[in-house]
Amino acid sequence: MSGFPIQDFVALVPVAILTMGALVLLMTEVFLTSGRRAYQAYLTMVFAAAAAAYAAWMPVPGNVFGRQAVVDSFSAFVTVVLCAGLALSALVGQSWLNARNSERGEFYALALFGTAGMVLLGMATDLLIAFIAVEVMSLSTYCLAAFLRRGKKPAEAAFKYVVLGSISSALLLYGSALLYGASGSTLFSLLPRGQGSALYLAGIALVAGGVAFKIAAVPFHAWTPDVYEGAPTPVTAFMAAGVKTAAFAVLVRLFLATESGSAAMSTSLGTVLSALAVLTMIFGNLLALPQRSVKRMLAYSSIGHAGYLLVGVVSAVVAGARDKALAGLLFYLAAYTATVIGAFAVVGALERRTRGDFEPADAWDLDRFAGLARRRPALAFAMAVFLFSLAGVPPTAGFIGKFYIFKAAMGAGLYGLAVLGVLTSVLGAYYYLRVVLYMYFLPSKDEAGEVVLSATSLTIALAAAVAVVVLLGVVADPMVRLAQAASAIIL
Amino acid sequence: MNLLTVVTFLPLLGALAMVLVPRDEPSQHRALALVVSLVTFALSLGLWFGFDASPGAPEFQFELMVPWMPTIGIGFHVGIDGVALLLFMLTTVLMPVVVLSAWKAVGDRVKEFMIALLVLESAMLGTFIALDLVLFYVFWEAMLIPMYLLIGIWGSQNRLYATVKFFVYTFAASVLMLLAILYVYFHDGGTFDYVEARRALAVTPGAASWLFLAFALAFAVKVPMFPLHTWLPDAHTEAPTAGSVILAGVLLKMGTFGFFRYALPLFPEAALQHRNLVAVLAVIGIIYGALMSLVQTDMKRLVAYSSVSHLGFVMLGLMALSAEGMTGSVYQMLNHGVSTGALFLLVGMLYERRHTRLISEYGGIAKRVPVIAAAFVIVTLSSIGLPGTNGFVGEFLILSGTWLSRLGGSAVFATVAALGVILGAVYMLLLVEKVFFGPNQNPENHHLPDLSVREGFVLAPMIALIVVMGLLPGPFLAPAKPAVDRLIQRFQVAEARLGKGPQVGTAVPAVMVRAPAPAPAAEPAPLPAPAPVPLQQPGGNY
Repeated sequence: MSGFPIQDFVALVPVAILTMGALVLLMTEVFLTSGRRAYQAYLTMVFAAAAAAYAAWMPVPGNVFGRQAVVDSFSAFVTVVLCAGLALSALVGQSWLNARNSERGEFYALALFGTAGMVLLGMATDLLIAFIAVEVMSLSTYCLAAFLRRGKKPAEAAFKYVVLGSISSALLLYGSALLYGASGSTLFSLLPRGQGSALYLAGIALVAGGVAFKIAAVPFHAWTPDVYEGAPTPVTAFMAAGVKTAAFAVLVRLFLATESGSAAMSTSLGTVLSALAVLTMIFGNLLALPQRSVKRMLAYSSIGHAGYLLVGVVSAVVAGARDKALAGLLFYLAAYTATVIGAFAVVGALERRTRGDFEPADAWDLDRFAGLARRRPALAFAMAVFLFSLAGVPPTAGFIGKFYIFKAAMGAGLYGLAVLGVLTSVLGAYYYLRVVLYMYFLPSKDEAGEVVLSATSLTIALAAAVAVVVLLGVVADPMVRLAQAASAIIL
Repeated sequence: MNLLTVVTFLPLLGALAMVLVPRDEPSQHRALALVVSLVTFALSLGLWFGFDASPGAPEFQFELMVPWMPTIGIGFHVGIDGVALLLFMLTTVLMPVVVLSAWKAVGDRVKEFMIALLVLESAMLGTFIALDLVLFYVFWEAMLIPMYLLIGIWGSQNRLYATVKFFVYTFAASVLMLLAILYVYFHDGGTFDYVEARRALAVTPGAASWLFLAFALAFAVKVPMFPLHTWLPDAHTEAPTAGSVILAGVLLKMGTFGFFRYALPLFPEAALQHRNLVAVLAVIGIIYGALMSLVQTDMKRLVAYSSVSHLGFVMLGLMALSAEGMTGSVYQMLNHGVSTGALFLLVGMLYERRHTRLISEYGGIAKRVPVIAAAFVIVTLSSIGLPGTNGFVGEFLILSGTWLSRLGGSAVFATVAALGVILGAVYMLLLVEKVFFGPNQNPENHHLPDLSVREGFVLAPMIALIVVMGLLPGPFLAPAKPAVDRLIQRFQVAEARLGKGPQVGTAVPAVMVRAPAPAPAAEPAPLPAPAPVPLQQPGGNY
C-alpha cells in the first residue's frame, strides 16, 4: 500500500480514532479491573466525540485510495450521526449492563469496532472496501448480539444473525464478483460500464439483496424481529440506529453512482428499490400491528422506517430532486438515531429482570408499560416524545424527517410512493400510540417490587435524546442546513 | 411584540410554568390555569377591539412573518381575518369557562389535566392564526396529542376505544392533506405561504379536484360530515366535560374553518365541481344527526349527534356560496360553540350530581334545580333556533341563503334542512321534558343541589352570549363580512374562468337590498364585491 500518499491515511483518522478507542477499552479490562466501570462508557463517548469532531471540523474532502473511498460532507455527516448514536448507546448500555453486573470493556470495544466499520462504510465507493467495512461492522454486531448470553433468546438471536448475516455477505460478495466480471472494476463509478449485460443485472440484484438484508427491507427482513428482540436492548438500539445509517449511506452511494443520469425509475435498481420500498412500508407496519412485546414492535417498526428511507433513496435518483432527497434522508437518519435509541433505552429500563438465567417471555410486554405515567412521569414523558416522533406527529423530529422525505418524493413526482408512505404511517400511529395508551391511560399492573432501572447515565442519555427530538422538531433549520450541505456528495 | 403571537403562545408558556408547580398542589394548578386562560382572554380583547372590519382594511391583520425553517420553506406567517378572529375569540372565551367547569370534576392528576388544556389552547389558537400551510398543519396535528390525552386519561368507561378512534380517524384523514400541501408547494412557485399559494397556485383542473378532495377529507372528518362522523359520538360521550366542551366548541369548527380558509379559496373551481356532493352529505348529516338524536338514551350522546346535525347546517351554508349562507355559517359556528358548549357544561353538571348520563334516570328535577333547569331551557331554545336567541340568526341566514343560492336544487336542500330544524326542536324539547319536567319519581333525584356559585360563573358568560348574539348580531357579523365577501369574489372569478354561467351568489337579485343604484338585470354580471347581507335581522344592524 506504499503507493498511496499520506493524505489518504489522514482521511481515515476518524476510523483510526474509533479503532484506537476500541483497543484502549480492551486494555482497560486488562489493567484496570475495578468493580466500577462507569468510566468506560464515558471513555467511549470521548473517543466517539473525538472522531465526530475530526470528521466535522477537519475534513480533507476528496477521493482517497485510488477512488475506492471518499471523504466528503456526506461522509462527515454520516460519521457524526454514527458517533452520536454510539455515544448515546454507550450511555444506555452502561446503565443497563451495570444493573445486570455485566459491564465489561469488551462491550464498548466491540461497539467502537462496529462504529469504525460503519464510518468506513459511509466513505466506501468501492465494492471491496464496502465489503470489508460491512464485515467489520457485522462481526462486531454479531458479537454484541451475543454479549449477554443468558437464556435462549440471546443465543438464538446471535446465531440467527450470524447465519443469515453470512448469507447476506455471501450475496454481497458474489454480486460484487459478478459486477467485476461485467464491468472490469469494483469502483462504484465504473460499474455502469457493464450495464446491459445479464451479468451486470445479476450482480446488481445480488448486491442489492445483500444491502437490503442490512437495512432490513422486506423480504430480507426475517432476521430483524428475532435478533432485535433477543439482543441486549442497548445493542438493539445501537444496531437499529447505526447499522441502518451506515447501510443507507453505502446504498445511496452505490445507487447514485450506477443510476444517476438515467431516467427515473426506468432503471433496474430503481425499480427494485421502489418495489422494496413498497413492500417494506406495507409489511413493516402491518407486522408491527399485532405485537404485544414493545421491543418486537419497535423491531418491526424499524423495518417500516427503512421503507420510508428507501423512498428517499429512490427519490434521490430523479434529476433535480437529488439534493433535497439526500438531505431528507440524512435528516431522517439523524432524527431516527436519537428517537430509536431513546425508545429502546426506555424499553431497556423497564425490562423485566429475573434471578435466573433467562429472559421471561413477557419481558417487554405492553403490560410493563401500564401506568408508567404515574410511577415514573418523566420516563413516560420521554417515551411518549419518542413514540410521537416515530409516528411522525408534529412538533417532533420524526415529523420533520417524514415531511422532508415525502416532500422530496413529491418533488420527484413519486406520488404513489408518497401516498403509500403517509397511509402506512397511519398504521404506525396506531401501534405507537398503543404504548402511550398503556403508559398514560391504564393502571399499573400489580407488580410490587418490580424495580424500574434508574441511573445517571440513563437519565443523561434520555434527556439528550428528548432534547434532540424536540429541538429538531421545533427548530430544525440548523440540522437541515447541515444535511443540505452534506448532500453535496462526491461520487 | 406581535399581540397575536403573544396571545397564542401565552397558554403554552403557562403550561411550561405549570411544570414547575409541585405535583401535590392541585389548587395551585387550577388557579394558575384559570389565571392564564383569563389573561389570554383579556389580551385577546385587544385583538377584538383592534381589528379593523371596514372593507378597505387589509385582509389579514396583526400579521407577522418571520422565517422559521427557511431551508425547507416553512415560514412563521401568522395573521387573522374576521372569521378567524371570531373563532379565536370563541376559543379564548371558552377556555376559562372550561377550566372553571373542571374545578371539581377533575380531581385526579390535576396538573397534567391543566397542562393538557393549556397546550391544547395554544394549538387551537395557532390553527386559526397560521398563514403558512405547514405551520397550519403542525398546529392542526399538535392539537391531537392533548385531546388524545384528555379523553384517554380523564374520560369515562369506554374512553380507550373512543380516544384511539378519534386519533386514528383524524390522523389518517390529515396525512393526505399533508401530501396535498406538498403538491401545492411544487405548483405555486415553491412556497408554503398561504397567501402566496392562493395567488400563484397553478394546477390542472384534474389535480385541483384531487387536492380539494384531500383537503376536504381532512376537514370533513373534523366537522364531522356524514359518513365520516362515527368517531364523534364516541369521543364526545367518553370525553370529560371539559373535553366535550372544547371538542364541540372549537375542534369541530376547525373542520368548517378549514373549508372556509383552505379548501374553498385555494381550489374554487374544484369546490364548484364538488359542491353538490358536499351539500348532499351536509343535508344527510342534518337529517341523520337529528334522527339519531331522537333515539338516544344518553344525554351526552344526544348532544353529540345534534352536533352532527348542526354542523351539517354550517356546511350547507358554506356550499350555498352566497353571502347570506356563508355569513350564516360563520355565525352558526359561533352559535354551535356557545350553545352546544353550554349544553355539555349543563349535562356535565347533572352528571356531577348523579353520576349518570342516562335520560331515564332523571325526570321532574326542575323543582329541585330550578336555576339549572332555566339555564337548560334557555340553551335549548338557542340550540333549536328560537327567534331572540343566537341560533335563530344563524339558521335563518343559512336557510334563506341556501334557498336563494344558485346551488342546483337549492330549494330542495333548504326544505330538507328546514325539516332538520323541526326535528331539532323535537329532540331537544323531548330531552328537556324528560329530564326536567313531569313527576320526580326517582328517589335519588329528590335532593339535588342547585347551581353553585362557581357553576353560575361557568354558565353566565354562555347565557349572556346566547342573548347578546341573538339580539345584537351586528358586532359579531361585522368582522366576518370582509372575509365572506372576499371569498365570494374569489368564486366569482372562478365561475368566470369556468364560463359555465353564474354559480355563486344568489339567484334572486330582486330581494337584494342595495344601498346604491341596483345592478341592472343582466344576469351574468358579478355581484358587487361588498354585497350587503340583504335580510333584516331582528335587532341587527343589517
